[in-house]
Amino acid sequence: MLQFILRRIGISALVLLLGSALMFFATINAGDPLFDLRESRATNRDQLIAARIELMHLDMPWWQRYLTWLAGAGKCLVLQCDLGTSRDGANINSLLLSSAGASLRLVSLSVALAIVIGILLGVLSAIRQYSGFDYSITFLAFLFFSLPVFWAAVLLKEFGAYRFNNWIADPVLSTTAMAVIALIFALVVAAVLGGGLKREAITFVVTFAVVFGAVTVFDRVQWWRQPALGLPIIVLGGLAALAFFLVLTVGLSERRILYSGLGTVAAGVVAYFVTAPLVENPSGWGTILLLALVAAAVGAAIGWFFGGFEKKIAMFVCSGTALAFAFLVFMDQLLRNWGSFLQVAARPISTIGDARIPYAKLDGNFYIFIYNWGVQLILPTIVLTLISIAGYSRYTRSSMLETINQDYIRTARSKGLSDRVVYSKHALRNALIPITTIVAFDFANLLGGAVVTETVFGWKGLGDMFKTGLDFVDPGPVMAYYVVAGTAAVFMNMIADIAYAFLDPRIRR
Amino acid sequence: MAVVAAGALALAGCTSDTSTPDDTTTAGQGETGGTDNETATDDGESTEGAGEETSTAKVDLGDVVTNDDTISFSTGSEQYNAYNGDTSATNSTYNATVNAQVNSGFWYWGTDGTVYPNEWFGTYEKTSDDPLTVEYTISDEAVWSDGTPITANDYLLSWASTNPEVLGGADALGFDPVSDMSTYVQDTPEAEVDGKTFTLTYADPNPDWEIMVSGALPAHVAAEQSGLEPGELAQAILDGDTETVAKVSEFWNTGWVFNDYQIEDDSIVPSSGPYTLEGAVWEKDLSLGLVPNEEFWGTPPATGNLVFKFAAPETHVQALQNGDINVIEPQATVDTVDQIKNMGDTVALQTGNEMTWEHLDFNFAEGSVFSEDEGGLAAREAFAMCVPRQQIVQNLIQPINPEAEVMNLREVFPFQTEKYNEVLSAAYDGRYDEVDIEGAKAKLEEAGVETPVDVRIGYSAPNQRRTDEVTTIKSSCDEAGFNIIDAGDPTFFESGGPLEVGDWEVALFAWAGSGQIASGRPIYSTDGTQNFGGYSNDEVDEAWKTLSTSLDPEVQLEQTKIIEKLLWDTLYGIPVFAHPGVVGYDASIENVRHTAVQTGVSWNAEQWVRAQ
Repeated sequence: MLQFILRRIGISALVLLLGSALMFFATINAGDPLFDLRESRATNRDQLIAARIELMHLDMPWWQRYLTWLAGAGKCLVLQCDLGTSRDGANINSLLLSSAGASLRLVSLSVALAIVIGILLGVLSAIRQYSGFDYSITFLAFLFFSLPVFWAAVLLKEFGAYRFNNWIADPVLSTTAMAVIALIFALVVAAVLGGGLKREAITFVVTFAVVFGAVTVFDRVQWWRQPALGLPIIVLGGLAALAFFLVLTVGLSERRILYSGLGTVAAGVVAYFVTAPLVENPSGWGTILLLALVAAAVGAAIGWFFGGFEKKIAMFVCSGTALAFAFLVFMDQLLRNWGSFLQVAARPISTIGDARIPYAKLDGNFYIFIYNWGVQLILPTIVLTLISIAGYSRYTRSSMLETINQDYIRTARSKGLSDRVVYSKHALRNALIPITTIVAFDFANLLGGAVVTETVFGWKGLGDMFKTGLDFVDPGPVMAYYVVAGTAAVFMNMIADIAYAFLDPRIRR
Repeated sequence: MAVVAAGALALAGCTSDTSTPDDTTTAGQGETGGTDNETATDDGESTEGAGEETSTAKVDLGDVVTNDDTISFSTGSEQYNAYNGDTSATNSTYNATVNAQVNSGFWYWGTDGTVYPNEWFGTYEKTSDDPLTVEYTISDEAVWSDGTPITANDYLLSWASTNPEVLGGADALGFDPVSDMSTYVQDTPEAEVDGKTFTLTYADPNPDWEIMVSGALPAHVAAEQSGLEPGELAQAILDGDTETVAKVSEFWNTGWVFNDYQIEDDSIVPSSGPYTLEGAVWEKDLSLGLVPNEEFWGTPPATGNLVFKFAAPETHVQALQNGDINVIEPQATVDTVDQIKNMGDTVALQTGNEMTWEHLDFNFAEGSVFSEDEGGLAAREAFAMCVPRQQIVQNLIQPINPEAEVMNLREVFPFQTEKYNEVLSAAYDGRYDEVDIEGAKAKLEEAGVETPVDVRIGYSAPNQRRTDEVTTIKSSCDEAGFNIIDAGDPTFFESGGPLEVGDWEVALFAWAGSGQIASGRPIYSTDGTQNFGGYSNDEVDEAWKTLSTSLDPEVQLEQTKIIEKLLWDTLYGIPVFAHPGVVGYDASIENVRHTAVQTGVSWNAEQWVRAQ
């Protein structure tokens, strides 16, 4: 194994080095770094040109410029990077730090979302193979996969920012709009739950009625400007989470675990009132994290004491339910502050930048600060997520289908296991092995490939740095981008290979 | 139905009670609360027509009381990074735009490139023609925002920072300037330490003397940061004490550069303009919000927060629509103009000319059909006759700027109406206004070249507009016996590229006007550094020499007429049009005015104010 890892590292380093030379050569030949000065009629034009030649070492041959850069970048190995300066004299080290930070924030969330949603959709469409749901997901996956990012982002800004801001100023939904929303929900839920035609029809009608009713009430009570969940919905959500965890593990028939789960929800209701002052105005993320930990611990404790002979599963179910409940309480509080945020920012969503209002000028509680960066994360995250969801759902679907058709699944079925157990315990886990490769790939891909998204939404991330560098034919920023994106790609690839070897013993030979 | 009822019950407790909608509306308006609108109504109206028949100077707003409103503007995604934008590393538009608001000087550019004095800042006067001597007097009220008076000390440092030979030159001093003032003003300025006046003596007559000096950086800060007393530095410059002056160069080069995009010590960036960086809100990667300079002795800024946003140009139009940026100067394309027009009443649009002009230049080098040895003047005339300039302007420029017209001069722009008309009547008789295919055929015959004549029009690709121009020219000139070849090339301007090698008969590009009087000399005089085609004419050389050594506007005007006429008669090249410019802004903001000058629309940002 060690030899395998070392060989991988050696190859990766070589790939990076060759790639950097290629990248450098391509960048400095991408245009004329003096372009803007050539048409200038300033009296000191020649001096300006000379100064830039000096600053960017344009008088050196390309290999000498490259070696100069490599000498500085090589120091990264001893953690003393010197990536040089950009055309306007900015220190690229510090430029890179902030850019990589912005990109990571943007990409982490969308990767996480894409994985969860993508895998979920993939599994569902594999289980409901050749159903209307499956076809719809396939259609949408291809649609999103082939979406031109630039166009989608601009459209999203038009609807998600400009029109949403107009609407939120005086939010009223027409009856038609409500009906359409309810219709979409009803179609989706009916398709996902499946069953016979009659069952689907009933699901459809019920969902339509519930959603239509809910939206009407929301509209009446001005929910769009002053939203909240309220205890009843939090409790409902907690119960749904409990059901989810039970289905994933032992099913509803295991009474002891079901009751300890219900007890967790009851404890949550008590905690809701006890911790209210803390949650309403927390001092920072520390408090929130601490509360989450307490919730998980309480859930685990309930599972331990009431779980009977299946303590481990009971602890998992109860702490999962407790965390979900805590999350809902947090969301409730976040929603309650939406109105205050609207007072600070009358048009809540801005089309550019990673914060709505400069932090130095922002005045408000913990939740207002979350909104300040949160609202700016929504639109770019949607774009990035939509694109990678497509891939994940397709890969998961085929991987799941392949697993379902294996002999051992047939064996599992024939010995009388329920669908739930077969899918969640036997099929899903094995089907997820190939997905690890894609996750690793995708993360590196997104980190480097968010150029367009970042540009359109005015984020100063790695992509923006790359683009600016390329526009100015300035190799410094482009190479800094390469150092991060290239390393991430090669490193993630390596991690995937190693993880694969760990997960699937058949590979390790 | 039961389900709906249950749902409604569950939802009943689910609205937060933080605010009522009414509160929110008033709170929104509260942001813009503040001051009475004291804009003089006459001036307000006169700016409505956006550049028509109005003065090109700033309007007089009368007494202005700064409100606490916010107006945002963006030049692009590059971030501000230097308070000293005069070094070769920091000289950029994005620094200049911000620095213009925190550093004022003796004069400013009007919207057509006219130089207007800032009387509140000080006065200047030419006291002698030979040698050219200019005396500057700084207003007694003029102070930096830290309370230090603005004095001759600051201007002495400006001069010293251009590495004058009398102080030992660049090697001894070590400044890294873009200005080359000390090659014109070679002797130490006459001044007294802490004095309010200084006198510059030029080695040679310089017609652009007026724009040589405007603002200055705070010498007392540079001195203190370099371990000197404020007066010590000025005295050292006056005494020619190279060693002491050289101590300042390191701070001057690097101390005012903020590569981490934050100002750690406010005291090193005092302001002499309407706004200041002291206490400014600088959010790295996002925006820089200037605040009013409390010590400013001129007309205070109208709006309390001027925010420069660092956003890529392609995001500007939507950001304007959503109110994220209030004033934008987007790329002048038909698309952006249409987009802004379609945004409705809340957004206003201004179009106009830029001081950048497109032209077709002939190649006079050996082997070119337009050189004197081959087709000569007749071939050039034939080409000029068939180029459909009117059609190019109509199809490509007027959709953006409806008032655009064909440009018939090189040194004066059509929007500098009076001077343009005067020079035009003396220099050009309208002979190439209409396309004349038959005339062009005859001229080609006269030139004695074999038709069809291959003409490569070189330009820097990709550039859709220039590609369209070449196509338009081709469709007309091919009829006259030319064979126009689109020689657009990404490497056109590069060293070793087509322009340098000479792989072109006609070059299509633009010169950005500098507002200087004598800056055209290297373009049109024999062996000039920017005379790419190798044009040579003794009379033109002579006229440029007279012009650039004369200080008399009358003489300069006369010489301009002579030059323009000769350039038409001998056909150096053909001017086509002035580039169009577009400004989009929140319609509730007053005093936003497009300017042709490269300072950009923020030239009068301190006057922008939202109507109440």
